[in-house]
Amino acid sequence: MIRIEHLSKAFQKNVVLEDVSLEIEQGNVIGVIGPSGTGKSTLLRCINQLEIPDQGTLTLDGRTIDLHRKNKQDMLYIRRNTGMVFQKFNLFEKKTALENVMEGLLTVHKLKPEEARQAALEELDRVGMTAWANHYPVHLSGGQQQRVAIARALALKPRLLLLDEPTSALDPELVGEVLEVIRKVAGQGYTMILVSHEMAFVQSISNRVIFLDKGHIVEDGTPAQVFSNPQNERTREFLSKMFILTQPEFII
Amino acid sequence: MKLFDFGLVFSQIPKLLEYLPVTLELALVSMLAGTLLGLLLAIMRMKKVRVLSQIAGFYISLVRGTPILVQLYIAYFGIPMLIKWINLKTGSNYVPANIPGFVYAVTALAINQSAFDSEIIRASLQSVDRGQIEAASSIGMTYFQTLRRIILPEALTVALPGLGNSFIGVIKGTSLAFTCAVVEITARGQILAGRNYRYFEVYVSLAIIYWVITIIIEQLIRLFERKTRIPDQVEQYQPENLKTGEAAV
Repeated sequence: MIRIEHLSKAFQKNVVLEDVSLEIEQGNVIGVIGPSGTGKSTLLRCINQLEIPDQGTLTLDGRTIDLHRKNKQDMLYIRRNTGMVFQKFNLFEKKTALENVMEGLLTVHKLKPEEARQAALEELDRVGMTAWANHYPVHLSGGQQQRVAIARALALKPRLLLLDEPTSALDPELVGEVLEVIRKVAGQGYTMILVSHEMAFVQSISNRVIFLDKGHIVEDGTPAQVFSNPQNERTREFLSKMFILTQPEFII
Repeated sequence: MKLFDFGLVFSQIPKLLEYLPVTLELALVSMLAGTLLGLLLAIMRMKKVRVLSQIAGFYISLVRGTPILVQLYIAYFGIPMLIKWINLKTGSNYVPANIPGFVYAVTALAINQSAFDSEIIRASLQSVDRGQIEAASSIGMTYFQTLRRIILPEALTVALPGLGNSFIGVIKGTSLAFTCAVVEITARGQILAGRNYRYFEVYVSLAIIYWVITIIIEQLIRLFERKTRIPDQVEQYQPENLKTGEAAV
């Protein structure tokens, strides 16, 4: 179990997260939804220590880490146990798809080159990118890049996979292939937190949905509870706006 | 006596080239030391540690703001004085006269180089996309692993034209090393001309040599740029052992 407690983060006077606590069971797929600027991305970035929160702790395998302290060893420990998938893929542009996936295996897990290569090829196979192993990011479409980025994160066998709007920077027709990969990964028992605006996808893939508003968790439950029977006024308002497009304009 | 001895311009080139190794050695050592020091300065400035970045900023401003000729003289006269002062303070007995002029020249050229290179390097380091650095951090790479494996290879592509320029600059800078009593090709030329008063001819010969060296370096840089460029097209990966025959999508 992974536990996040009392996480707060403010940029100058703008409070983005306020005393957020969250318990994540092994194998949970948690969908995080909410309006823009409510700290969804910041939540993930704080967990991964790309952002240093003002306060908060993370407990992983019984080891409790103060996220505010900027301790190098603790930071590496957290990062080595969590994987991050970014909105803009962030592949290493001077490395091939294969080298991108191998990088962490070589430098962090200290595998021998040949072992790393085999492991990386397996990861690429999982996301259906084996044929593109020798290609550089510039040669790949957004969807393909994101699939490689997912393989890169998964290669390190993270205890917790953080997905920060993985399909937001993609052309609509490429969204499907990435969602398919995420669905497959979720089915393999990975614990993940998924921040996304793809409501239908969040609803179908997660077994728990969190609604964040102004830095607070205002709704927390199964997808059925949150989407069909939201308790909070803000959630209802948000969801009605979200689904306005999928509803017909006129009902005759 | 001819007004301009055209034949001499070419015939004396071999005599000048005897000292080419000195010129190249001066340039290479200064460039190498200057680039490493420049990298350190660039990181000092970027890391935004208050005192370090101020020291780096002051150093760069001072070195860029003084002529290389003055710096060479300062090194030539200043380092022996520094050694004498150290002797005085610690009772040691180093003899400044034993230090070859090469050391003074390299010190001055490397310091000059470092100030210019650090700005080229800083710009190139800052051009690396932050997202990739975050990605490297997120998989648990340390800062030095990220620097060595992700940032530097990408920054190098950006820095290469600038560093190439700077290297060409230092090659020509070595022509001032005579101020530190180093005999390289220019000093050699002056000695030759002192014998037959054919100063104009010798400087034309030198101009030709420097230009040819520069052309060679330009070509080498171009070659290196081509080597490090991401290829336009890549062949699809073919697994060595098609285990299941399952086609990858």
